[in-house]
Amino acid sequence: MAAPAIRTQALTKRYGRTLALDDLELRVERGEAYGYLGPNGAGKTTTIRLLLGLHRPTSGSAELAGFDAWRDAVSAHRRAAYVAGEPFLWPALTGAETFAYLERLRGGVDRAYRDVLVERFQLDTSRKVRALSKGNRQKVQLVAAFATRADVLVLDEPTAGLDPLMEMAFRETVREAKERGQSVFLSSHILSEVEAVCDRVGILRAGRLVDEGTLTELRHLKTRTLDVTFAGTPPRLDGVAGVTTVSGGAHTLHIETDGDLTPLLHALAEHDVVGLESREPTLEEVFLHHYDGHAS
Amino acid sequence: MRASARRAFADSRVRNGAFTLLFAVYAYANAVGYRRTYATAASRIAFAHAFGDNAAVRLFYGVPHDLLTVGGYCAWRVGGIATVIASVWGVLAAVRALRAEEEAGRTELVLAEPVGRLSVYAGALAAIAAGAAGLFLGLFAGLVGGRLDAGGAAFLALAVVSPVPVFAGVGALASQVAPTRRLALELGIAVVAVAFLLRVVADTASGLGALRWLTPLGWAELLRPFAGPRPIVLLLPALVGSALVAGAGAIATRRDVGNGLLPDNANRRARLQLLGSPMQLDLRSERGTLTAWGVGVASYALVVGLLSTSLTTGALSANLRRALEKLTGSASLTPAAALGLYFSFFVVAISAFTCSQVAAARREEADGRLETLFAQPVARRRWLAGRIALGAAGVAGLALLAAVFAWAGAASKHAGVSLPHLLEAGANCIPAALLFLGLGALAYAALPRAGTGIAYGVLSVAYLWQVLADLVGAPRVLRDVTPFRHVALVPAQPFRPAAAALMLAVAVLAVGCALRVFERRDLAV
Repeated sequence: MAAPAIRTQALTKRYGRTLALDDLELRVERGEAYGYLGPNGAGKTTTIRLLLGLHRPTSGSAELAGFDAWRDAVSAHRRAAYVAGEPFLWPALTGAETFAYLERLRGGVDRAYRDVLVERFQLDTSRKVRALSKGNRQKVQLVAAFATRADVLVLDEPTAGLDPLMEMAFRETVREAKERGQSVFLSSHILSEVEAVCDRVGILRAGRLVDEGTLTELRHLKTRTLDVTFAGTPPRLDGVAGVTTVSGGAHTLHIETDGDLTPLLHALAEHDVVGLESREPTLEEVFLHHYDGHAS
Repeated sequence: MRASARRAFADSRVRNGAFTLLFAVYAYANAVGYRRTYATAASRIAFAHAFGDNAAVRLFYGVPHDLLTVGGYCAWRVGGIATVIASVWGVLAAVRALRAEEEAGRTELVLAEPVGRLSVYAGALAAIAAGAAGLFLGLFAGLVGGRLDAGGAAFLALAVVSPVPVFAGVGALASQVAPTRRLALELGIAVVAVAFLLRVVADTASGLGALRWLTPLGWAELLRPFAGPRPIVLLLPALVGSALVAGAGAIATRRDVGNGLLPDNANRRARLQLLGSPMQLDLRSERGTLTAWGVGVASYALVVGLLSTSLTTGALSANLRRALEKLTGSASLTPAAALGLYFSFFVVAISAFTCSQVAAARREEADGRLETLFAQPVARRRWLAGRIALGAAGVAGLALLAAVFAWAGAASKHAGVSLPHLLEAGANCIPAALLFLGLGALAYAALPRAGTGIAYGVLSVAYLWQVLADLVGAPRVLRDVTPFRHVALVPAQPFRPAAAALMLAVAVLAVGCALRVFERRDLAV
């Protein structure tokens, strides 16, 4: 069995007095797609810089594709590809020239697949990067990264600037990568994107991993949402055990609960309920639950 | 407008401060130096006589009107060089405040606020005016510190900064025309070069003095500070500067933000040469800069070679003059001695080139491209070593160009200096330049954000210290700190292998440390 795609052990990073990352323990298996969620400033990009050996851990260690991220960065990068949140490219090169340069640095990519991706992302490769919009520069990065067919894909908010159609193209490409057995590390604050492509999710807040699990596991842990419609004026339910949030309109209530539903159902039974809808939380709601009052 | 002016002024405070300090020290050193070296009237007359009507010196400093007073001497020595530097400063300041901001996308942000196009443009220019006022004050303080009378010093300082409105206008116009910072700078500096060339021709070729009226650098001479001042000439730079600034402003308020008048050929067939390695791409990106340096050094070397037969000692700085009189025992110089002196200029110029290479390396990191590069299987050591090797190759190439073109010029005047001798003079520039390259690389590796400033700072201090150490009577140990003291005036003096070896050893050591330090630090955007 190969080493995990990504592994960090007690990974800690300080910038001066700021603690950017605190004792991070991550493990992403081969072939797995891992969603890395957190609000701005939680430490997602710091994690990625440490994984790529761009910054040096204050303590602890990071491994990428089985190599120490700092000491064996070059070996690790032969087996990994990276898409940055901000597309920093060479403004005087065209897309095609950028591809040629990155290909030669790496020593070869899947050109046929690159052509497929250029088509899929509708990229004009004869245009200088300087003249491209942010979304199009992002496409240059995405095409270059996926065309490497690298074992591990490290993606830092890769769809920022893409339109919804291109976002679909991105998801399709990630699924293809997974089918080929590539590992994906996807940092994001777009929850639907993570929900659509990832097997497992870690939630980062202020430099600490506050939760981790498969989507199913996280759903078990978290809230349940009820939308209730009443014949008359909705009752006040704030004091009922297990109820965390109530909001509503003239005849409806939106209720989020935490744990046992029995007290709530007892309370509702005393009123004239004409409709009741209960569902699992979306990842958005899981996320808000963790960052309640802290999200930026 | 006030907010954008403040922002632009704050952005350029380091560079403005450095230029201001340089002007103050240079002005002070010349005033004090002349007074000390030529204390008596007799010695001044001898100096003025020895200077005679020397074309070679006019090339650098322009025409002297009065060499018998400290003021007249300063007007010539300080005015001649500082006006050129002030002109370059004007272009740099305008391109930075206008085109560089626009290229970075910040102008777009500012214009999205409730401010007008004209007020943003005017704010940038107000910041340049404030910077120019700083240059004026620096010069004034240096001259008054050198015990010149305040009125005369103020007028001389005014004459020195008089080309600034014109060249800030040129920079502003270039920023409207060119779609990129780089092209705007190249256009602006080219105009300075033409203005300088016009002054050189006007000052050195007989019968063409009227050409002085065609160049802002000539106008500064025509103001005649300390030699029958003619303030009326100030109208010329004021009018031309205003016209350029107004013209550029008219364009700035009418065109699309982010574009220039020249089209940026955004679409093209892929050009795949020089994409094989980071070093090749660096060479590709720096092609324009390298070409510009090459053309500059080659043309200057050619002129220097042509003039090598007409130099006398009178025009030299007091230190050099004494050194040379010891060396040659006469007041007139052999062409070989003249070339030795001129090549001491190339030592400094090629050292400055290495600072520009340090700056280019830092820009790669500051713009985030190094993150993209180092996410590829590319070792940091490989990139930085390649970057330094490219700088070193540039140094060697410039030294070779200087030698060959100086030889071509000298040979056409039958100066009798052989090509091997001039190749030796060129090679003599290399150790000092590589020393500054190594130190600059180390500064960049250890303190990325300050690296460029340190590189230019070390070079400036080393150069100024060579001038100042004698004036302040520093002990020998301290005087010997600057590398420029240990560069022989080849071909006039024999090459000093020990000093060269020491400089190379320090350079190698510094590069070694730089590579180690660079491998161990966080990338800093």
